[in-house]
Amino acid sequence: MSRSGSLYIERPSIIHRLDGSTKLLLLIGWTAFIFMFMDIRIFSIMIVLGFSLLKVSKIPWKSIKPLTYFVVAFSLINSLILLLVTPQYGSELSGSYTKLISYFGGAITLETVWYAVTLSFKYVSILPITLLFVFTTHPSRFASSLNRIGVSYKVAYAVSIAFRYIPDVKEEMMNIMHAQEARGVAFRKGDASLVKRLRNFVTILVPLLISSLNRIEVVSNALQLRGFGYEKKRTWYNRRPLTINDGISILLMTGLIGLGIYLKSQLTYFWLFY
Amino acid sequence: MSHIVFKNFSFQYEAQTNPTLKNINLEIKQGEKILIAGPSGSGKSTLGHCINGLIPFSYHGKIDGELLINGKNYHETSIHDISGEIGTVLQDQDGQFVGLSVGEDVAFFYENHNVNQKDMFTGVKASLESVDMMAFIDETPHNLSGGQKQRVSLAGILTTNTGILLFDEPLANLDPVSAKHALELIDGIKKDKGSTIIIIEHRIEDVLLSGVDRVIVMEEGIIVADMHPDELLPTDILVNAGLREPLYVEALKAIGVTISPHDAISKIENIKVYKENVIQWFKNAKTQEVVERKTILKCERLDFRYYLDAPWVIKDVSFDIQKGELLAILGNNGAGKSTLLKLISGIIKQNKGDIILAGESLNEQTIKQRSRRIGYVMQNPNHMITKVKIFDEVAFGLRNAEVPEIEVEERVFEALKVCGLYKMRNWPVSALSYGQKKRVTIASILVMKPEIIILDEPTAGQDYRNYKEFMGFVNELRKSGVSVVIITHDMQLALEYADRAVVLSKGSVLRRAGVSEIMADKALMQQANLRATSLSDLAMLVGEEMESAFLSRYNYYMGGLNHE
Amino acid sequence: MSDIIQNLKDSFGSYGFSSWQALVSLLFVVVVIVIIAKYRKDIFELSTRSIVAVGIGAALYAAISFIAIPIGPNTSFRIAIALLTIFGALFGPVVGFLVGFIGHALNDAMAWGSVWWSWVFLSAILGLFAGFVKVDKKFNPLKGLLEKKHIVQMYLFAFMSIFAASLVAYAGDVFLYGEPAGKVWLQIIIASFSNFGVIAVVGIPAVIVLANMNKSKQNLVEEE
Ligand SMILES: Nc1ncnc2c1ncn2[C@@H]1O[C@H](COP(=O)(O)OP(=O)(O)OP(=O)(O)O)[C@@H](O)[C@H]1O
Ligand SMILES: Nc1ncnc2c1ncn2[C@@H]1O[C@H](COP(=O)(O)OP(=O)(O)OP(=O)(O)O)[C@@H](O)[C@H]1O
Ligand SMILES: [Mg+2]
Ligand SMILES: [Mg+2]
Repeated sequence: MSRSGSLYIERPSIIHRLDGSTKLLLLIGWTAFIFMFMDIRIFSIMIVLGFSLLKVSKIPWKSIKPLTYFVVAFSLINSLILLLVTPQYGSELSGSYTKLISYFGGAITLETVWYAVTLSFKYVSILPITLLFVFTTHPSRFASSLNRIGVSYKVAYAVSIAFRYIPDVKEEMMNIMHAQEARGVAFRKGDASLVKRLRNFVTILVPLLISSLNRIEVVSNALQLRGFGYEKKRTWYNRRPLTINDGISILLMTGLIGLGIYLKSQLTYFWLFY
Repeated sequence: MSHIVFKNFSFQYEAQTNPTLKNINLEIKQGEKILIAGPSGSGKSTLGHCINGLIPFSYHGKIDGELLINGKNYHETSIHDISGEIGTVLQDQDGQFVGLSVGEDVAFFYENHNVNQKDMFTGVKASLESVDMMAFIDETPHNLSGGQKQRVSLAGILTTNTGILLFDEPLANLDPVSAKHALELIDGIKKDKGSTIIIIEHRIEDVLLSGVDRVIVMEEGIIVADMHPDELLPTDILVNAGLREPLYVEALKAIGVTISPHDAISKIENIKVYKENVIQWFKNAKTQEVVERKTILKCERLDFRYYLDAPWVIKDVSFDIQKGELLAILGNNGAGKSTLLKLISGIIKQNKGDIILAGESLNEQTIKQRSRRIGYVMQNPNHMITKVKIFDEVAFGLRNAEVPEIEVEERVFEALKVCGLYKMRNWPVSALSYGQKKRVTIASILVMKPEIIILDEPTAGQDYRNYKEFMGFVNELRKSGVSVVIITHDMQLALEYADRAVVLSKGSVLRRAGVSEIMADKALMQQANLRATSLSDLAMLVGEEMESAFLSRYNYYMGGLNHE
Repeated sequence: MSDIIQNLKDSFGSYGFSSWQALVSLLFVVVVIVIIAKYRKDIFELSTRSIVAVGIGAALYAAISFIAIPIGPNTSFRIAIALLTIFGALFGPVVGFLVGFIGHALNDAMAWGSVWWSWVFLSAILGLFAGFVKVDKKFNPLKGLLEKKHIVQMYLFAFMSIFAASLVAYAGDVFLYGEPAGKVWLQIIIASFSNFGVIAVVGIPAVIVLANMNKSKQNLVEEE
């Protein structure tokens, strides 16, 4: 994570040049599309498509790698738990029971394993578009994009304030921890038991809150003194006019949603077994 | 027409039992430049809040009397209308830098007033150029120094085109050269636009040297003086209010000169008339002998950077701290002073080099282990305060160390008395001003009785009375064998109290020497963005080559006076 | 589609929960909001201070989210949940909702690169309900106004919030992400216990501390 607290990486790519609001709509559309299915063929296509887009965006693999690995690991653990907790879920859906491993009282069915695999693919297929959004949208552009797709400018600006003060708040928290540590409070592994350390973390909450309330006061004074929140609308320094590429992207996304609705009516819910 | 008129004006905060401003009568005319001075908690910021509309629209309370701005009673309209008349730069730089980048922050007023993008870009560019910050337009706030943030705030209010500009402690935490630049910028704006300028400041000398039309002195919510600096400086008003006079004025008075209002002493060139008195005094003055001390802490060839691919913030720094000395760390904003002392206290770890305390390496010790012997007072008091009540805050460290409660009370009371907080011991910390909070954090470290105390800008935002009391205490501490390291931008503090100084610039040590020698080294001073005090101007009356000697003799002389 | 619903119904049923119960509960949540909105419209309005509170609250949420202990399948004990209670109680339901929504989504996106939407809504609902205590004008911790009955109310709303938030997260996980109902149920029960614990032991006491602190700020006198 960079000092600004965001993952944005500057690169000269067509995706960087898309407006933030377009990318936000893409993110929403893509996610909605994925949510419609439980079909590994569709997920595979979207994964390939998604990672190709990441390639186009010129974001270095080095930056994406840890997050991708995390999601893959997350999905695998999730699948494992799924198999343990609901070993017959896939079969319940499909109505066919193909026993793979049986253990006392129950059995894991092939259908469930397949379901777990499909589910993992589903999670991985949502990943690229989210990465694309967070790596190629500058935080400064984010608030105006939200406003452009219809979120009230005040709420949009709250997001901007969050971005602005994440590094400050983090630093403040570190400082509070250091100051406490210098007066004998334990936060590090090995200095005290887990429960005790957790309790110590709770004690930094009150000072952190007090200073945050103070910050809220100062920042809202500063905003008011500079005329924020009085008019019904506002203009944005960082907003750029939409380009033809934005239009094409939105069209493509609409097409994808249309396709999704069509496929939904044609395909079964859980492919291969049902 | 008068810009601002207070008539029998009083204000009482909702949470207070007594009024904070009492019967204020004040008139500020168009195009005037006014300094508001006064001890901490005297109501300066409160007065500022009344002018810019935060009172009554953000802070509630009881108002009596009348306040007119440009003939209108704005308390009956809205803060939005007032913001069209008055531009404010607040004390807290990070709080008021609301944009994610410099350009965005400067454009903020435009955005809120629906200015179209084309005008916005031209306006932002023009404002940034007039504060010389155009090169930083895409920079994020974290990559800017305090002085640069100050400039951005200025650019921000330039876009508003208001006739009145209000600055609440614009110089706090700026190094001397940046402070001078900031004041020059303010003067430039005044000249260009004919704006009315109101500056609230503790650094009276800096502001006076830039030239002001009137000084308003406040004490406990009352205006005790409202006059031209030439009339004010010969009097005892500042001293009686617990404020610091400009150094050269203090010095002239100390060596027995009687100043008359006709000498127009607010302009430093006019000290010429006292040339004979100064030379006479210099001939008879004596100097101090150097004391030998033992080294207690040694830093050897320290290197440090915050991120792997970031530039080095500390490069090959070696120096030592001696037992019972007061060591000043000097240098411009961003030189790495705070970073260096964080290394010593263990908050961060050096990439290379050793820190050795009394022959024992500290390299492997955690903050907690080091804290028993090294006390560290951070620059921002809000980062240190963790308890609700002042007493508990100061007692916190002792209680963690399981000191018996009777002793805790005794030691806490002692520290609170030293820091001038004893009477408020049962108050919540949140009811204090910034300067008062700073003293709470200092008390909470003093109470631990460490061998080395590190103070990061302990006197920034403090009034002179507290400064004096506090530095007097630090001096006593030093005599009892505690070593004190102080980061400061106040050259006079260094000169008056420090045995030696280390000058840092861009992460390297430029020089380690006595302060009067450093101040006489003009090339060094320039390189490190330091500025000689007005005492040096007095020394010039004796002769340039005598500067170092003059400074040390004066110091010795003042030490003698203070002890009588 | 109807088969899926049938299937889901079955699985709901097999864990002692049916979809009509879920619907009724959701309806109940909506009714609560509508009633409150009718009597105290002002608590749904956003002042500049509320906007800043949302921003800083979300930043705080993201900053302290790293303090988490895994306690179940992809579920963890997070102190950050307490912030929702605190910001809700101090600034009202809309701020609580937005702090949860923005804070959770930002943290997910920045720390993990992907956002788990159904649990984003879980956080948001916790914040929303925590704000309902502000319906009573006599409750204002920032001015030191807090009575015993408010503490009871806070615990009551916390309980309701856990219930409502669980339903939302459940629906999202099952209908959108395609998780098996039984597994989600398990995760949600674990998370609910942990979240209620954080709210009850950290969140609400913190609100009380803040209120007492502000009460003691009034009428200060110097002592010799
Ligand atoms: N929001 C507030 N509510 C209640 N009391 C306040 C508030 N702000 C300030 N005060 C009180 O008013 C007094 C004057 O405070 P003010 O901030 O105006 O002082 P100041 O002269 O600016 O001090 P400093 O030089 O330390 O900034 C202080 O005693 C303070 O406790
Ligand atoms: N936590 C941090 N992370 C990354 N860089 C930092 C951090 N703190 C400081 N820096 C950088 O290190 C350099 C030295 O900063 P430092 O705070 O030590 O300066 P300073 O001499 O104390 O300045 P000032 O007089 O303004 O307090 C600066 O360029 C600053 O941007
Ligand atoms: Mg002030
Ligand atoms: Mg510093």
